[in-house]
Amino acid sequence: MSTTRAMIAALRDRLGAGDPMPPREPLPPVPAPPARVYAPRREQSRFAREAARHTTALVGIGHVGTRYATDVVLQFQAELAVAHHAVAAELPDDWAAAHGFVPLRSRVSTHREFLLRPDLGRRLDGPSLERLRAEADRGVDVQIIVADGLSAVACQQSGPALYATLRVACERRGLRVGTAVCAKFARVWLEDEIGQEVGAKVAVILLGERPGLGTGDGLSAYLVHGPRVGKTDGDRNMMSNIHARGTPPEQAAERLAALAAAMIEQGTSGVGLDLARVPGGDAGRGYRAPQVRQRLVEKGDR
Amino acid sequence: MLLEPIVPTVLSVRRIPNADPALLAAYGADPARHASLGLVTCDQDDALYVALDEATKHAAVDVVFARSFYAGSAHASGALSGEILGVLAAAEPQAIEDGLTALQRCLAHDACFYDADGKRGVTVFPHVIGSLGHYLAREAGLPVGEPMAYLVAPPLEATLGFDAALKAAAVRAVKITPPPTETNFACAWLTGLEPGDLAACEAAATAFAAAVVDVAARPR
Repeated sequence: MSTTRAMIAALRDRLGAGDPMPPREPLPPVPAPPARVYAPRREQSRFAREAARHTTALVGIGHVGTRYATDVVLQFQAELAVAHHAVAAELPDDWAAAHGFVPLRSRVSTHREFLLRPDLGRRLDGPSLERLRAEADRGVDVQIIVADGLSAVACQQSGPALYATLRVACERRGLRVGTAVCAKFARVWLEDEIGQEVGAKVAVILLGERPGLGTGDGLSAYLVHGPRVGKTDGDRNMMSNIHARGTPPEQAAERLAALAAAMIEQGTSGVGLDLARVPGGDAGRGYRAPQVRQRLVEKGDR
Repeated sequence: MLLEPIVPTVLSVRRIPNADPALLAAYGADPARHASLGLVTCDQDDALYVALDEATKHAAVDVVFARSFYAGSAHASGALSGEILGVLAAAEPQAIEDGLTALQRCLAHDACFYDADGKRGVTVFPHVIGSLGHYLAREAGLPVGEPMAYLVAPPLEATLGFDAALKAAAVRAVKITPPPTETNFACAWLTGLEPGDLAACEAAATAFAAAVVDVAARPR
């Protein structure tokens, strides 16, 4: 509707018309669109309800008609955004030096190339190799490498803390720990080349893990005995979900140090390692209190 | 009663759900895009031009044909002729239905001539379109969504009115059609000097209506 009628009514008043404007014909009512209103339905299954208490996975979320409830969808989108942000984040070039690490770099040149070419992320570039040879201690027991991996956010948040606790835990076991290095654009297998160059008995890489829903800040640790280029994943032991809501860094450091010591003692790693003989080997393998889902979207009353 | 709204009468409304391609082409529609037609006759041509534009804002319709008849509705060729035939075209009948609903709503509640002398001897159409649809936007050469004052009155009244309107606010003339036209009225389309200046269009239309009322009261 335009403003013309109101405009003319004002003009009539100005011209001194005594009688009021005839009322406009009332507008016809707008019929409501045909719609069914669905009430949210909680998950009925007891199994799903129980399972939902023990995982951060999206189970037992109920439904509204044939859809998810709005708060579930918003939660999903918020968590996915956290994951996207973590993958897109890039480790600043000066971060490693600022935190006391020797900065290294893989053969990857750009972040996009890093995502598309895992093979380039597994080898050091020329300048890094020279720097590693010149500055790193050789013949150490454990070489710890902090790296960005697929979540620079996780590396920046809990990388230094996990490194410090792991170093202390190793030294307490009488292991000699190598020079602190931090690799940018790194994949897991980069530990093979670094460990081989410094002649370490065990190489440990602590790197941001592939983000899942709501866990953009998780670190993973991969250990390999006798690192050299060409080792496979069968030669590695790993630990994932190292973050405040998963395994806390302090607890993880103890277990990682125990694993490293056991590798040196048994002279092997990966499938060959007898975990039953790892002292405190059940740490993190027994009962663990259920993780609680961190709500990024607050739910209103329904 | 001064400046009483003279509500237009819709004289006929008919649909052709699947029109013959030759007919579509003759009335300016594109047989490749259009199949259905909606036809309206009305006793106020300018109100229907505005209402046809309103329809394009509410449904996926195009105004393919809209022409005023000679000498106006007082000298119509038949009881249903009025002074204009407007034709909406669309790909399917439901769009025509939605367009016609919006069009009739606009004619019943919005666009109309006003009585400028209290005896319906002189009438004036000082309509302000808040946001142009794609029909009048194309006709005026303005962007869709711009405001526009659509001003119509008999020849001499209109001429004084246009002058008053152009001097009353920061507006420019998009198009002035001096008499004689088919219905022997004169018409002007004004828009703000600044894009989107609805207040300027309203001030101009008010000044236009006031000038026409003044001429009707004092013709000499």
